[in-house]
Amino acid sequence: MIKKRGRRGLLFFPAVALMLAAGGASAAESNIKMLAAGLSYDHFSRTVAWEGDEASSKILFHRLSATADFGVGNGLVLSLSAGLSLSDFAALTFGSLPISLEFGGAPLKGLALGAELVAPVHKRGDFEIAAAGRFVYSFGMSKTWPLEGFAVEGNARGMSDCMETAIGPRVSYLFFGRVVPYLEVSVRWLWADFGMTETLGDLVGEERKQVGGDISFSAALGADAKVSDRLLVKAKGGIVPFAGGVDGSVSIGILYGF
Amino acid sequence: MKTWEKRFPKALAALLVVLFVGLGASDGGVVKRRSLAARTVRDNVQKLRAKRAVARRGVPRYASDRVLIRFRPAVSAAYGEGLLETYGFPSIRRIPAIGVYSVRTAPGVSVTETLAMLRRNPSIMQARPDYAARLAENPNDPYFPVYQHNLYNRGTFIDLGGGISFQTTAGADIKAVTAWDSVKGDPDVVIAVLDSGVDMTHPELAAKIVSPGHDFVNDDDDATDDRWHGTLVAGIAAADTDNSVGIAGVARNCRVLPVKVADAGGSGWYSWVMDGIIWAVDQGADVINISMGGEYDDPFLEDACRYAYDNGVVVVAAAGIDATAVLYPAAYDDYVLAVAVSDYDDAIDVDSPFGPEIDVAAPGVWIMGPIPQWAAGEGNPPYGFASGTSFAAPHVSGLAALILSAKPWLSPAQVMGVIRYTADDINRAEYPGRDDHAGYGRINMERALAPYILK
Repeated sequence: MIKKRGRRGLLFFPAVALMLAAGGASAAESNIKMLAAGLSYDHFSRTVAWEGDEASSKILFHRLSATADFGVGNGLVLSLSAGLSLSDFAALTFGSLPISLEFGGAPLKGLALGAELVAPVHKRGDFEIAAAGRFVYSFGMSKTWPLEGFAVEGNARGMSDCMETAIGPRVSYLFFGRVVPYLEVSVRWLWADFGMTETLGDLVGEERKQVGGDISFSAALGADAKVSDRLLVKAKGGIVPFAGGVDGSVSIGILYGF
Repeated sequence: MKTWEKRFPKALAALLVVLFVGLGASDGGVVKRRSLAARTVRDNVQKLRAKRAVARRGVPRYASDRVLIRFRPAVSAAYGEGLLETYGFPSIRRIPAIGVYSVRTAPGVSVTETLAMLRRNPSIMQARPDYAARLAENPNDPYFPVYQHNLYNRGTFIDLGGGISFQTTAGADIKAVTAWDSVKGDPDVVIAVLDSGVDMTHPELAAKIVSPGHDFVNDDDDATDDRWHGTLVAGIAAADTDNSVGIAGVARNCRVLPVKVADAGGSGWYSWVMDGIIWAVDQGADVINISMGGEYDDPFLEDACRYAYDNGVVVVAAAGIDATAVLYPAAYDDYVLAVAVSDYDDAIDVDSPFGPEIDVAAPGVWIMGPIPQWAAGEGNPPYGFASGTSFAAPHVSGLAALILSAKPWLSPAQVMGVIRYTADDINRAEYPGRDDHAGYGRINMERALAPYILK
């Protein structure tokens, strides 16, 4: 029961964040032209080299969010989201601990906040060029694993935060009216921090790993489709090439207009 | 058209419903993370040194972009291949003779995710990672596969001649081969062998000697072995390995500092041992092996061990000579790892000392090692077999040297903890948990050195 109350306390944070954002928007309430809310799912993979590592490892990130879109005039759309994240740090090794630890398929749950802004810059014929920026912050990811097979009892506790921002141009094709396909090219910046604490009997070790700002480029194809007057479906898929391979990203959302 | 004031409450209510439903399952780690931040006191040295450890990591356990699949017998090849194509794998290759498919995982999808997805399909009988194989990189030292049951025990019959023969139990070893995949040792890590000296011309040791050492028996700078004991101990700990000669050492690439503190009769005074410990510490040794001991507790000897401990040196000592109480300095529990004897069947030897000071056990029955040519006799290979805690201790010293090779920032207490807690509880049927005979158990190099996989 006590644990549940603790969780409830945390639940309010994203909600409050949305309210504050909405409050900020209300200062310019006369400019709000559209409001839609719904659910979205995002996934991306990023192959990164953590500071101190020579081998790369992969971060697989999933996010399920509640999303609100605010149309604030001049075609500018601000999306705010909050939800759950699930991150897998495949093959990441904590080699400085007394007993080295390696991830082998052990995703971490956390909370995620996101914001996206699309601002039209230029329109010509059926084409529209916009600037698109996105920010996702996943925090509070933690998990405890028992360390088994040793002479004494022990456990490992991992905690991680990560943040990704992306910015770049979006070219939309407006010809179809209710369906707007687009091509988006982005510069993506990733920051991640991971702390691992190991306790085995009286043996205690802590190691912190970071990705201090990994930059990559991505190209994505997407579409916003008005299924009905109130229902909007958004979908996007992209690739993030890196030396020796390619990572991917997928997002899909369904929103109800008010 | 509705106004913003009217629409906002509805939107907010919808969002809150979604949030409350979704976040109920959260681990909610915000508060916990703060406590981690408060407790994270590691300095940057650790971060910098992480580079070194990671560089030594072995190959991945399995391919990161490939899995292997076998369909149920009732599934036709055409149907199976069609099924795999529907998954969108970038490439599919069949190994016809055994009905297995090797498929490349989709970009951005991990092996774990791919396997989880495939295993849900009822047509698929097995979906497995493409595990890494390694060349048979057992050391090429000719005696290694035949006689070194202590390092890699395959369950063989060993005949030493002279009416001595025995059957060994497979797996009753310290898991050296798999551990060497992770760490083979750093030449900068030095094991001081406080003993009867070392034959510094022996082919197993000539390239491993840091300096002629010091002889506290004769008070000179030539720690040449005039018995054989120290040479055999040094060879077990760090014989030249993969050199097509003789045997393999535990700490294959680490080096040896000879310190002579026992005379040709195998005896030495406490003062020689104290001097030897302090001299080895001051010379920069990382590990000190003392395969000797005395019955009397002595504060000066304990102070010498504390001096080593306080200066970051791991001290390992043989627990004793026969099945009696643990000798000194092994009995200085806070500063020294006391080593008991296990045999080729993973049983504690009947002559092994016992007591609460025992930390771990290591193989010490019919252990092969180098001995001086004069001790072997003209025309005989310069190797011998010996039993006792004297020859168990250098296994532990070798492991300590390998741990420090990979993680030089660890303190003696941490190294001792790793060695203790990663041991195999070989006598758990009789004495579950730590006991006075095997301590925490027989050392397990693989568990001490290879990463533990979090699942």
